[in-house]
Amino acid sequence: MVQMTINGKVVKATEGEMLLAVIRRQGIDVPALCDHAAVEPCGSCRMCLVEITREDWNGWKKYVTSCLYPSEDGLIVTTHTPELQEIRRNILDLYMARCPGSELIQKMGEEYGLTRTSFKTIPEGDNCIMCYACTRICEVLGRSAISAVRRGHAKVISGPFGDPPPDCIGCLSCAHICPTDVIEWHDQDGVRGIWGRTFDLIACQQCGKTIITRDFAEYLKEKRQIPADYFDICDDCKRVELARKMGGLVDQAKEVAS
Amino acid sequence: MACDMAKIQEIIDRSPQTPGSLIAVLQDIQREFHYLPCEALQATAASLHVPLSKVFSVSTFYNAFSLNPRGERIIRICQGTACHIKGADLIQQQLTSGLGIKPGETSPDMKYTLEVVNCLGVCAMAPVVVVNDKIHGGVRCDKAFKLVTKD
Repeated sequence: MVQMTINGKVVKATEGEMLLAVIRRQGIDVPALCDHAAVEPCGSCRMCLVEITREDWNGWKKYVTSCLYPSEDGLIVTTHTPELQEIRRNILDLYMARCPGSELIQKMGEEYGLTRTSFKTIPEGDNCIMCYACTRICEVLGRSAISAVRRGHAKVISGPFGDPPPDCIGCLSCAHICPTDVIEWHDQDGVRGIWGRTFDLIACQQCGKTIITRDFAEYLKEKRQIPADYFDICDDCKRVELARKMGGLVDQAKEVAS
Repeated sequence: MACDMAKIQEIIDRSPQTPGSLIAVLQDIQREFHYLPCEALQATAASLHVPLSKVFSVSTFYNAFSLNPRGERIIRICQGTACHIKGADLIQQQLTSGLGIKPGETSPDMKYTLEVVNCLGVCAMAPVVVVNDKIHGGVRCDKAFKLVTKD
């Protein structure tokens, strides 16, 4: 265990635990766009910057991305100085120019007093903030179907050679993790479309609700030792079935008791 | 364009078959073919156990890699501040009209590729033109075309 000071309060944390998690556990709201529990932190969105210093730094201080800075003994962390708020506001100003269509970004900007971006909005902007959440989650799932292609202004997230990614299984993890909701997908007539590909959907044998794509189900069965009939019925129907079984048990118990 | 798969595999096999060899392997392929053929990227991914998406990501990130076939002779015109002042623009005009290709393009006979770079770090030699890694300093615009086309 290490002992740190966060906004004047003495806090204990596990050594090496990233600052952002410790800060949030204290109920302090530090914004972050690229951070997600399911993936490794990458520090790309720059919103979680905090100020750190130490007793022996003689007043010297620096800004670090709290999602990537491990806890250490004697650290003095400040999360909301006027300078930090200014930095976050500037970053959001840039994001607002890049993501005119993202409600989240525009709302966050408003929280920092920005009614509109002071930069020129990118007309062909795709609302992507290049946080790599999608590529990171794809890697976690063991597919790595998509990646960042090219660099600088020309950078986009895409499959290899700009084609529909052959390794995609239509799991939608990328679409769900995306903070600005830019990854387009649709389910229609038992078929899911994403990244320019289409996937057959498995429907619940009882209620007909969409469960998962066939490719994703096969992948999970193969890699994660999931029973072959696991995706035959949906979670809701499984619950109903379980409730029926449990209800039956209760009735039986009552009969035995009487 | 048909690709020499045996040659590609031979180049890949020269390096340790680990993800860490990725850039070294791509550099070797680039050196041999002057570009990274699609098939080479696929073979590299399979041999080094790196996802194809990552191989593609790396090969599009670095300017040293090209995914388009390039000419036998790669001509780089420096357009850094010193070269620019010393008339790199005129050299570029001469070469563009002489070779019939714009910067970033390759001549149809696959002989020449013209590129513009921002600084080569040898400003004392300005204006500089590099032909296949050989640096030519003090290039005169009226002799530039002859310089890059002579054997």
